[in-house]
Amino acid sequence: MLKPEIIHRLQEIVGKDDVLSAREDLATYSYDGTTNWTGTPEVVVLPRTTEQISEIMKLATRHHIAVTPRGAGTNISGGSVPTRGGIVLCTVKMNRVLDINKTNLTAMVEPGVVLQDFNNMLAKENLFYPPDPQSFLGCTMGGTIAENSGGPLCVKYGVTKHYVLGLEVVLPSGYVMKVGGSTVKNRTGYDLVPLFTGSEGTLGVITRITLRLIPRPAARRTLMAIFDDMTLAGAVVSSILGAGIVPAKIEFVDNFVIRRIEEKMKIGLPVDAKTMLLIDVDGSEAAVESEAERILELLKEGGARIARRAKDETEAALYWKARSAGFAAIYSAARTVIAEDVTVPRDRLSEYIQRLDEISRKSGFPIVLIGHAGDGNIHPSVSTDSTDKEDLERLEDTLTAIFEMALELGGTLSGEHGIGLEKKRLLSRALDPMAIDAMRKIKAIFDPDNIMNPDKIWENA
Amino acid sequence: MSRKEFTQISRVARELEQCMKCGFCAYVCPVYQEEKTEASLARGKNELVKLLVSGELEINRELADRLYKCTGCMTCTTNCPARAEIPRIVVAARADIAGEMGMRFPYGLIYRQVLAKRGVMGLALAVASRLQGVLMPRTSGTLRHMPDFVSAFGKGRRIPSVARKFLRRQVPEVTPAAGRRTLRVGYFSGCMNEFVSPEIGRRTIGLLARRGVEVVFPRAQGCCGAAVFLGAGDFETARKMADRNAAAFEGLDYVVTDCATCACALTEYAHFLADTPEREEAYARFSGKVRHVASFLVDVLGAADFRAPALLDGKKVTWHDPCHLNRHLGVREQPRRILESLDGVRYVEMPEADRCCGMGGQFNLLHYELSMKIAKRKSESIEAADADIVVTACPGCQLQLADSASRLDKPQRVMSLMDVIE
Ligand SMILES: Cc1cc2nc3c(=O)[nH]c(=O)nc-3n(C[C@H](O)[C@H](O)[C@H](O)COP(=O)(O)OP(=O)(O)OC[C@H]3O[C@@H](n4cnc5c(N)ncnc54)[C@H](O)[C@@H]3O)c2cc1C
Ligand code: SF4
Ligand code: SF4
Repeated sequence: MLKPEIIHRLQEIVGKDDVLSAREDLATYSYDGTTNWTGTPEVVVLPRTTEQISEIMKLATRHHIAVTPRGAGTNISGGSVPTRGGIVLCTVKMNRVLDINKTNLTAMVEPGVVLQDFNNMLAKENLFYPPDPQSFLGCTMGGTIAENSGGPLCVKYGVTKHYVLGLEVVLPSGYVMKVGGSTVKNRTGYDLVPLFTGSEGTLGVITRITLRLIPRPAARRTLMAIFDDMTLAGAVVSSILGAGIVPAKIEFVDNFVIRRIEEKMKIGLPVDAKTMLLIDVDGSEAAVESEAERILELLKEGGARIARRAKDETEAALYWKARSAGFAAIYSAARTVIAEDVTVPRDRLSEYIQRLDEISRKSGFPIVLIGHAGDGNIHPSVSTDSTDKEDLERLEDTLTAIFEMALELGGTLSGEHGIGLEKKRLLSRALDPMAIDAMRKIKAIFDPDNIMNPDKIWENA
Repeated sequence: MSRKEFTQISRVARELEQCMKCGFCAYVCPVYQEEKTEASLARGKNELVKLLVSGELEINRELADRLYKCTGCMTCTTNCPARAEIPRIVVAARADIAGEMGMRFPYGLIYRQVLAKRGVMGLALAVASRLQGVLMPRTSGTLRHMPDFVSAFGKGRRIPSVARKFLRRQVPEVTPAAGRRTLRVGYFSGCMNEFVSPEIGRRTIGLLARRGVEVVFPRAQGCCGAAVFLGAGDFETARKMADRNAAAFEGLDYVVTDCATCACALTEYAHFLADTPEREEAYARFSGKVRHVASFLVDVLGAADFRAPALLDGKKVTWHDPCHLNRHLGVREQPRRILESLDGVRYVEMPEADRCCGMGGQFNLLHYELSMKIAKRKSESIEAADADIVVTACPGCQLQLADSASRLDKPQRVMSLMDVIE
């Protein structure tokens, strides 16, 4: 239990209403988007300014209290789950878009801005911020920076780190540090912006974000293809990229997800289909038209049962809505669901899909596939309703087998969800030991007392 | 407290497992949008109920307060990728909480929060007086009875002394169809139309009769019970009300009401209140016949032509979707079609027309300031539509919109759908 003085001081800093300490409130900050990680904080603060956060951090450092930053709690790696009680510092009340600069093509936002709200504001100005984690209705900008999130659009546009120009970060000492700036080019010393981008809240609290924007593409087409064989769908992705076309998105959804979506949303998908690919092309009207034509040919040559364009915006929107509901559909299907995040080189996709099938058959756990085929990041979700200890251990072994297979194919442990609690047991096998050592030293520079989101990323930290 | 005592929660146990904590509801939940705390969010409420069932939390004021912070608007469910029916879980939990803490709890809170606070009460009265011309019969001296009205709402009884002078004194038990009779329906008035705005009831009955429908006004009908079981979780009292209503409307082709909340509550009897096979059967039969008047006119009678009274000539109108009508009953297009068919009236759609106005029945009484914050956003939508009149079909919404308009000094008039068609 935190001492009453600490709670009192927090109330002085942010005001009484923005400090939560009732058991019934604390319980609701004990989880994030994962099904299996929980931990209850001792207090929750909802600051509104950088200065308040600085004061909170000073207090935490003085009293050695762990601080877990939290945005919307949608991450799926256990990142915003407090492991040592302490303070959950939730940024949702810092939700102002401070500036949208149409001529420098930049924006400045507070960390609690919800991605979809930001997108809506940009759309009015005909501007575009591509990183599109499929949790856009919930996730905050701070969370997406801390996780270096990416989504379907990253095939063509890259992930969050490609758009972050500058950050304001409150360090555990309370010092407010500025890194980067608001220029697209910046070659002034070591670049610390990408260090904090993807730092999962372990180095400091991100309080202000300057982002690079691009003009909204003039035209867009959505294509949909149905396959009766998953590996064929995987191979087609490689052949599209091999033909020199880079679509904006190439998403992969398997039979299980198609059926679940259909059950919940009833949008008329063929429930017997083994795979659905959703592809977006964007750019100028002329380019979009010819690329769409060419992709449709490739899809048909590649063995698609159906390959066609969405007839209008409404149909396209429906497909993408179904896609964003896909994860949820998987997560609510069983008691324990682990969405793996391994990523493989894009020319190994069909082999990857085949190997997953083998792993599933051998282990007996169903493996569901959904995700970003265009960048080799198709998430295999392994699930079980069993609470039996042995089954859960076997599940863990299965996850390890998937990871080892991905590494063999030249892939990586996490494409976008981050390490958090969920993947730290495998981290040492995914990274060079020297790199791990360097990372730990960096952590120690900024957070010598290890109060900043402790227990995340590193095993026995 | 052991598991088996959560009678109502255990009936929705499967629902409890649906939420996968994606947090998408944060984008749409009107309460969360104002409060920004996890417990105000559908996901958080689901978690609280889960922890209650698992024994990690117990029934107390703190828990109850959080579970009462929900307007029941269903926006979370409609937008939820897992279609988690958290509002139903919340209603079930309120019932078990009421069972444990005793009936005094929610009502006690109303007394404390509303009646005991002169400020809030005074405001209700001030609003009522300003609304007099719109919502209340000029002659009835309604103001005097407002406290009764509010307290009775909380007690879940039929409204006391104000009653009986009103609608049932003004209309016969049977209003014959003009011309050939096509159907014989029962009119369910709801408390607001019965006691506060009987002229709306009269208009509905008259309109139906002119369209060839014989309208029966069963004298035995009572309050729909929405505030009692959906709001307060008092299922026992509500069962008596449901039994009475189901019996009162036996043998009629349809049960038509112009109150969205009543329509919704009446169709929920079987789901929440049926505790015996007999009730299950009786409630299901009754609920199957219930139609909101907008849906009855358009879907059952196939009516497409409506006229507006002269005072609407040249006016711009917009539509506010009551949650109970839109998300609960799926009636969206019908009222719009009716409004669009009016000659000499311009229909404009407001942004976020289907966003909750923040009334939520009891919610408004327990959390008035919060309710008004939600209403403010609605007012902004109405303003953006630049309409002269906002039309809706739920007396609760109507009260809320008018209250909010007067608080914010907005010029728009609020009218019932039945006020604007003839
Ligand atoms: C249905 C669903 C679909 C998803 N799809 C994708 C996807 O397509 N691509 C993808 O990349 N991810 C996806 N995610 C994962 C998740 O949404 C992202 O990681 C998101 O960026 C998290 O944002 P958040 O605001 O919820 O952050 P949280 O979950 O609250 O926090 C995430 C991490 O960031 C830290 N943090 C939060 N705010 C700050 C801050 N201001 N300063 C420092 N640290 C901070 C936290 O401590 C934590 O470690 C998905 C999740 C769900 C549930
Ligand atoms: S209620 Fe639905 S939308 Fe909200 S967190 Fe749960 S699954 Fe997601
Ligand atoms: S019913 Fe409405 S108020 Fe209640 S949790 Fe759902 S969205 Fe929020």
